[in-house]
Amino acid sequence: MTAKRLRIFALLAISMVFLLAWAFPIIWSVLNSLKTDSDVLAYPPKLVFAPTLEAYRDVLFGSGSILPNLLSSVIISVGTTILTMLMAVPAAYALARLRFRGKKFAGFYVLATQMLPPVGIIIPYFLMLRNIGWIDTYQGIILIYLSFSLPFAIWLLVSYFEDIPFEMEEAAYLDGASRLKTLWRIIIPQVRGGIAVTVVFVFLNAWNEFLFAVVLSGNTVRPVTVAMFNFVSVEQTLWAKLAAVSVLAMLPVVVLGVVAQKHIVKGLTVGAVKGGGRR
Amino acid sequence: MSGQGQVSFRNIVKMHGEFAALKGVNFDIRPGEFFALLGPSGSGKSTTLRILAGLDAPTAGRVLIDDKDVTSTDARDRDIAMVFQSYALYPHMTVAENIAFPLEMAKLPKAEIAPAVKDAARKVKIDHLLDRKPGQLSGGQQQRCALARAIVRKARLFLLDEPLSNLDAKLRLETRAELKKLQRSLGVTAVYVTHDQEEAMTLADRMAVFMSGEIQQVGTPAEVFARPNSIDIGGFIGNPPMNLIPARYVDGDVIVAGHRLKTTAATAGERDVVVGLRPGALRMTEGGVGARVDLIEDLGDTAVLDLDCAGTMIRMRVSDGNIPGEGDTISITARPQDIHLFDPATRMRL
Amino acid sequence: MATTAVTSAGIASEAPRSDFGRVLAQRERRFAAALLAPAFLALLATTTFPLLFLIYTSAFRMDLAMPFTNGFVGSENYQMLLSDERFWTSLLVSLVYTGSTVALQVIIGLALALLVMDMKRGQGWFRVIAILPVVLSPAVVGMIWRTFMLAPEFGIVDFLAINAGLGSKNWLGDPTLAMVSVIAIHTWQWTPFAFMVLLASLASLPEDIYEAARLDRASAWQSFRRITLPLLRPAIVMVIIMRTMVALTAFAAIFTVTAGGPGTATEILNLYAYRKSFTELSIGYGSALAVALLIVTIIISGMLFAMRRAK
Repeated sequence: MTAKRLRIFALLAISMVFLLAWAFPIIWSVLNSLKTDSDVLAYPPKLVFAPTLEAYRDVLFGSGSILPNLLSSVIISVGTTILTMLMAVPAAYALARLRFRGKKFAGFYVLATQMLPPVGIIIPYFLMLRNIGWIDTYQGIILIYLSFSLPFAIWLLVSYFEDIPFEMEEAAYLDGASRLKTLWRIIIPQVRGGIAVTVVFVFLNAWNEFLFAVVLSGNTVRPVTVAMFNFVSVEQTLWAKLAAVSVLAMLPVVVLGVVAQKHIVKGLTVGAVKGGGRR
Repeated sequence: MSGQGQVSFRNIVKMHGEFAALKGVNFDIRPGEFFALLGPSGSGKSTTLRILAGLDAPTAGRVLIDDKDVTSTDARDRDIAMVFQSYALYPHMTVAENIAFPLEMAKLPKAEIAPAVKDAARKVKIDHLLDRKPGQLSGGQQQRCALARAIVRKARLFLLDEPLSNLDAKLRLETRAELKKLQRSLGVTAVYVTHDQEEAMTLADRMAVFMSGEIQQVGTPAEVFARPNSIDIGGFIGNPPMNLIPARYVDGDVIVAGHRLKTTAATAGERDVVVGLRPGALRMTEGGVGARVDLIEDLGDTAVLDLDCAGTMIRMRVSDGNIPGEGDTISITARPQDIHLFDPATRMRL
Repeated sequence: MATTAVTSAGIASEAPRSDFGRVLAQRERRFAAALLAPAFLALLATTTFPLLFLIYTSAFRMDLAMPFTNGFVGSENYQMLLSDERFWTSLLVSLVYTGSTVALQVIIGLALALLVMDMKRGQGWFRVIAILPVVLSPAVVGMIWRTFMLAPEFGIVDFLAINAGLGSKNWLGDPTLAMVSVIAIHTWQWTPFAFMVLLASLASLPEDIYEAARLDRASAWQSFRRITLPLLRPAIVMVIIMRTMVALTAFAAIFTVTAGGPGTATEILNLYAYRKSFTELSIGYGSALAVALLIVTIIISGMLFAMRRAK
């Protein structure tokens, strides 16, 4: 083999190792979710086995069904996304395109709120909600989710809003459109792509959230990230079922990730250029 | 049309902090006129247009349209249509929707909008493109779409901010002619901003020449060409530009490179001046000012000679076949009425 | 017709001053305020107000288990904090954790980006697979690593270790190994982010400077060191800043894997504050710890932003 061929082979090998390393844990979890508990514990680990949907059946329809947890996650994520977008879109437009005193301060404030460590927010929040009895409620948990989704959404949207040429607004203004009409008919249709990307990110982050969920959840509100722990305890771990729950918890975000892949990458890199971003 | 589009600017001043973008601008535009605002970049012409449109507010002064003071009137209420340099078309709407937008905003009934859109599109010859989106149009077609959107409103004033600068040279020439024809057929008052003096010269009925935030001259193209008010204007208008030579004025004559030339001025006295000579006004003669031919730019039917006249570079246009050779020394002169005199300090016409 | 010789009126003081500009600006201000109000109110309520409350709470002793000891204690919590060995240990763990994972993410991410840049085919595969770890919940990631990767024997990592001759290791029970594990997990999840950002950055570099360098007979390494690296600097700094912020406040990934254990071996400051507040129910002191974490975050981001500006 020539030196060049060797080099290419080495590079290919390294790339394969990394691809495998990143894909494997997920694939392995999926495989494990299709095993019986004894198969999971088998040594050496079985790559070939008789697959069964037993774990999924138990986890979805059995006594410890996580369907209410999945529903919880959906309600929280959708609620957070809608509320966030309703507030973030106008705010981002104002920050990106309007001129007013204190604009720099406003922008800095949004950026600064992202630097707060979540644990610093959850402690006072817990105390406050406790006093008004909002622990284990949807409104309580969605509200605090705003603390991380709003600044991120605003920052991401600002970069999309900034891309629209200023003259377009002036043309619309001269054509007789009011400021609101201009925003609604002219500007927003053009940032449709950016809005879609932001929606994906906000939903993702809300679905994946753990700390706030674990402190504020109870019997009514218990998203699937917290429900995972139902299957782990000091005495025993329900392996296959845990795998199934993990897969179900991963499912929506993986689907979103693959489908919206290009947009997510663009969103991540745009966010990296302009600064900010939680995850 | 709610008026005829007569415009008056009275002492308009625009300050940006300490910087004076407009130092006191006055002019009148007659109804139905094609009026050009000409000047180099940063001279204040675009600022003036935007103040006329109502997109920016002046620091002081008044704007009147059809004798009504509109200085504090909203842009939307001034009955003005504008074509932007970048066209500012709405990319997510079709051509038809773009053109229909101003009518929609004016709450015109749907039944009336469609024929108006078709009519406007036909006037600029894009009625076959109504279902396309701006992204699918060529530069020239986009420009027409912007035009159609502006004319569909039948506004009394039409503002154009360097609408041709994004087109390639050939398209620019074609569109120029069509623009003028369109304006004539619509009979609307047009205010046209450009930095291209050739464009202004060919399109405008009258023009205002801007330099550093002031208007230095208002007049027809012929007037501005024949009697420029300042050195800057003289050097700006005309291609190749006017030759500007420092010289000495003595009792009605000027001494250029040691040679005396008669002028139309009659005042006695001696002073320093700057002499302006258009390349096309120079003639070869016997016993005139001596100059050496440095370079010949042969353009086919005419030629431009780069002459060295006692250290100063002068350009001369020759079109009658008697082209001297490079390195030759020739003798040139100009008629008294073609010799422009400027004050070297104020840069203004004497 | 005589040309109109116009004299400039100068900065005319007799010309009426226009108020229209002020009217326009005011309208814009009002519109902006209306658009920003909901978001700002929400932010104030969910970030600023809780923060102030947190600082307030940190001046109290608040033990939910022993309410009779509650009361205002001023800066006592902070004094306790400064002499608390567990605090300093957790701070050290935080710094080691953050520093290691960010460095690894950048180095590996950069190496991979350089690798993939040259690949003509297969870039698509990388993009699809790279996206997966990044979109997952850190809690779920922690869980699957804890169980299916690091569990003794049937966990894949342990299986590979046994077969490589290292023997079965107590990945999560041994303090040093636990630290290595959590760092590795965090790195596993977030390196693809660094990879994607740096790859995009690399792709945006103009080709012609490399051709010029080749003509100037620069070696591949020199090209990299003198051209690529400086041009990538802004992107690398951005990645470092973002990943540092996340690593400092990472919670779920460590919580689900070791919960801070064994003992306090992987207890980052974040986790210590949580445990103090919600497990030991000493909310006053926990608040002080959280405030300490905030201060540390601000200091570190200050340093990083200064590094960013120093070009």
